[in-house]
Amino acid sequence: MTDGAADLDRAVRDAGGRILAALVARFRDLDLAEEAFAFACAAAAEAWRRDGPPRDPAAWLYAAGRRRGLDLIRRAKVRGAYRPDDPEPVPTPEEAAMARLEPIPDERLRLIFACCHPALAPEARIALTLRVICGLSVERLARAFLVGETAMIQRLTRAKQKIRAANIPFEVPGPEAWGERLEAVLAALEIAYAQAYEDAAGAGEGAEFAEETLRLSGVLVDLLPAEPEVLGLAALIRLAEARRGARLGAEGEMVPLTEQDPALWDAGMLGEAASLLGSAAALRRTGPYQILAAIHAAHASRRETGETPWADIVVLYDALVMMRPSAVVEVNRAVALEHVAGPDVALEALVAANAEGRLDDHAPYHAALGRVCAEAGRRDEARAALQRALDLVRTPAERRFLERRLAELG
Amino acid sequence: MQYMLLIFEDEQAYSQQPALQDVVAQHMKLAAEMREKGVFVSGAGLQPSQTATTVRTAGAAKTVHDGPYPETREQLGGYYLVDVPDLDAALAWAKRIPVVDGGSIEVRPLIVH
Repeated sequence: MTDGAADLDRAVRDAGGRILAALVARFRDLDLAEEAFAFACAAAAEAWRRDGPPRDPAAWLYAAGRRRGLDLIRRAKVRGAYRPDDPEPVPTPEEAAMARLEPIPDERLRLIFACCHPALAPEARIALTLRVICGLSVERLARAFLVGETAMIQRLTRAKQKIRAANIPFEVPGPEAWGERLEAVLAALEIAYAQAYEDAAGAGEGAEFAEETLRLSGVLVDLLPAEPEVLGLAALIRLAEARRGARLGAEGEMVPLTEQDPALWDAGMLGEAASLLGSAAALRRTGPYQILAAIHAAHASRRETGETPWADIVVLYDALVMMRPSAVVEVNRAVALEHVAGPDVALEALVAANAEGRLDDHAPYHAALGRVCAEAGRRDEARAALQRALDLVRTPAERRFLERRLAELG
Repeated sequence: MQYMLLIFEDEQAYSQQPALQDVVAQHMKLAAEMREKGVFVSGAGLQPSQTATTVRTAGAAKTVHDGPYPETREQLGGYYLVDVPDLDAALAWAKRIPVVDGGSIEVRPLIVH
């Protein structure tokens, strides 16, 4: 890689989302902005190899993109007179210097809110956000969301068409819509991270994808430092990510949180999460992401104290059930309850969580049932539940873990 | 930009006179405010769906049928056509349209020529 290429790589990685967002805000057209930015990158690859990188690569790219965008608009207006061999617009030194004086406006928040608009299909929101803010390729998005590339292109195209046709604004919503809209942004990010985290063995693609959502959550914290739930979600992602190195055993089996070696947890990441949670708490507006993060932080405290504060965790789950009732949360609460009140009480809570049969196909429910039944001395029921969980999971690390549990039952 | 706000709800809810009068008054108030803010283009309530007649096309034949199309629990009951800057503004108005529980408002941009 020549110097020019490395510089371009770094500029796109560090400032790509900002440049693209600024272009979108200026032209109010996602497709046009993407095309202009892609052109700027292509022009940079050539110019920087030839002349060496500019002093401020991001400003150069922004200036080139802006100029290309204006040029595309002009061409669209005089489409009849279009000539493909028009001279290629590259920023003049003066333009680049001007751009340097005038910082690239940070319009990422407006772009994130547009991409996560509730008027867009939920499955398109985070894909579009990661595409435009983090610059993820269609190929990587397709792999992360387990769809074909054609399907992913369709999903992105449909979302962009709707933004244009329905005139979804590139604006940070006003106070009347703030709650609903911010919730949609956070939910999109949460789904993306859950996707990356699902497979304990997610070392390659999964880890890389998790890194992008981690980065995006950090961007949101920078942009909205006074929103406690934004800080809560960022803390939650860091707490989960800190455990990545401890999630896989010697034989490639998943290691559950309670059996992980805390020495393998990433201390730096845990520290970051703690300080985010502290800042969130100081804002005195609690919410489900802060509670979830607090639960993970309570587990992390085992690193210092050697013990998991189960009673605290049950109390936190009680709060979470009230704020965000869900059968899945009830399962996790029951698992924590076992350590405080014993397996019989936990079993009762688990059965109650699935009273409506909604968890019949939920592998973690059956795994929890298997564990609690085993503790309660109900070996046949434990075996049946673990077998059911094994039928439901696809990832090898989780399978190995369940197989081991089954073998232990004898 | 113009958006059509299409009102779908179970018209049975308005079979009683007081309920109908009440909702009509609410619509009048909302329309007056839309006019005042300069976003109102047009709007109307529709007569019950039992008054509807549907012209169906199959090949070259056009046949006339009694009733609305399609048959659902919710019927198109009226509409507003508003001129606002963007979808968020249209949605804000849509949320203020009175509808019975379970009803919905479909927000569609008009084709710009």
